[in-house]
Amino acid sequence: MLVQFYNVSKIYPNGVKALDDISLRIERGEFIFLMGSSGAGKSTLVKMFFREEIPTRGQIFIASRSIVRMKRSEVPKLRRNIGIVFQDFKLLENKTVSENISFAMEVVGANIRDIKIRVPEVIEMVGLKGKEKCFPGELSGGEQQRVGVARALANRPLMLIADEPTGNLDIRISTEIMELLYDINRKGTTVIMATHAQELVRAAHKRIIMLENGRIISDSLAGEFFL
Amino acid sequence: MIIKNMLYFIREALNSLMRNRLLSFATISTVSISILILGIAVLMTMNAGSFMNRLESDVEIIAFLEKNLSSSQIRDAGEEIEKMDGVKQLTFVSKKEALHRLQENFGGKEYNLGTTIGENPLPNSYEIKAADPHNVADIAKKVEKVHGVYKVNYGQGVVEKLFNITKWIRVISVIFIVLVSLGAVLLIATTIRLAIFARRKEIKLMQLIGATDWFIRWPFFIEGILLGSLGALVAIVLLLLGYDSLISKTDSIYFFSLLSDPIILSKIYISLFLTGSVLGVLGTYISLNRFLDV
Ligand SMILES: Nc1ncnc2c1ncn2[C@@H]1O[C@H](COP(=O)(O)OP(=O)(O)O)[C@@H](O)[C@H]1O
Ligand SMILES: [Mg+2]
Repeated sequence: MLVQFYNVSKIYPNGVKALDDISLRIERGEFIFLMGSSGAGKSTLVKMFFREEIPTRGQIFIASRSIVRMKRSEVPKLRRNIGIVFQDFKLLENKTVSENISFAMEVVGANIRDIKIRVPEVIEMVGLKGKEKCFPGELSGGEQQRVGVARALANRPLMLIADEPTGNLDIRISTEIMELLYDINRKGTTVIMATHAQELVRAAHKRIIMLENGRIISDSLAGEFFL
Repeated sequence: MIIKNMLYFIREALNSLMRNRLLSFATISTVSISILILGIAVLMTMNAGSFMNRLESDVEIIAFLEKNLSSSQIRDAGEEIEKMDGVKQLTFVSKKEALHRLQENFGGKEYNLGTTIGENPLPNSYEIKAADPHNVADIAKKVEKVHGVYKVNYGQGVVEKLFNITKWIRVISVIFIVLVSLGAVLLIATTIRLAIFARRKEIKLMQLIGATDWFIRWPFFIEGILLGSLGALVAIVLLLLGYDSLISKTDSIYFFSLLSDPIILSKIYISLFLTGSVLGVLGTYISLNRFLDV
């Protein structure tokens, strides 16, 4: 078992209760959709995984380690095992595709030889061969998100977490990104994706966790829920 | 880890310096000015100190003797002075000797003072050296009371006056140095703040990817140290040139020989350089603490 949430609640300093008594188990290799309307608490839940937010109450274990009690100095090590894909891509505009990806490896202290091998590997994986020297501004939205995925994969994470990764993309391009994420999942990486796009989820036959007002209202396979 | 990534840190720091060229230049200039003032103040106080030491050790008491003393009375007075506490050395200067010195100093070969002023009007005297220059005033007072002594001369107040002057130099330069250094540190902090601001998205991303706090901080510290030490370097070059030319201009003036021991001087310059770097570290520290959540 990879992740376990025990009765996690999050109340922001302004008093908003974004998560309400969430308990959750995630096994290695799963593909999970976090669904819910805007404001349901998806992003807050996602941020718990890499400790960008800390629970007000409850416990979270990743690979049997409590990340709530974790010291600040241990957080980088946690995050190196989690690849994050963002809705707005968060690419550095002044760096090329290759540089954006190698940046992710440089900042965690990877050595140059590994970087030289790994960067072309992930570029190939996300289907961006030939675009290595392009700047983000020269790429379409779908291509930019592929760079985002490649960067998230560069350090070989245990888990890939994506918060509305297709939120800025049209449906056709979104489907392509989904195929990429399924592919990554098939190769063994656990994937957790927050989205409110039902049309992407319905076809997938993956586990779906439905949130509403910070609570889990259902946790099931797509078929069971939507049929 | 740190060594391995140094190249990356330095590259980032240089990029950042170049990105804010104008501010970097202004910051380096301010650091230069503050280090320059610091350097001038240090050199001035050190020189004044050594000048005073030399002056003090030169301070002599001269006891002028009454006109019509017999040679045994002169001898008695000498013996009495010699027995006093703190007297290191006693030299008798006869009136003939005194005139001879006067002739050497002022007459040269062209004027014969002896014939010009007729009968030698100078008194016999004793020259007294104190073991400790600080006791000069006390000894002088006692010598004054010795039978046969009619007047005592010594460097009354000169040392004290000089000491006062150097004290003021010190106080004023400390105030100046504090103010200008404060300005330098604040400018460095501003430069670093802008550098952080320019890279804030990158920094956020680095944190999410799993960069350590120190990995994120290092480039800024290097940038700050570069600003501080480059400023110091400029100041040191200016000081070197200026001080060297001052030495060569003044070495003909006997009592005004400047400190020129290369070991002492290089120690001063190295300390100034380190001070510049410390200013850089301080400025960076302030901004990192205030504007970077790492
Ligand atoms: N940093 C924050 N401070 C205060 N309230 C927040 C913060 N982030 C989110 N919220 C609130 O928490 C609730 C859940 O937000 P979020 O987790 O972003 O939901 P979702 O991603 O499903 O739209 C919302 O009411 C939102 O306004
Ligand atoms: Mg959200």
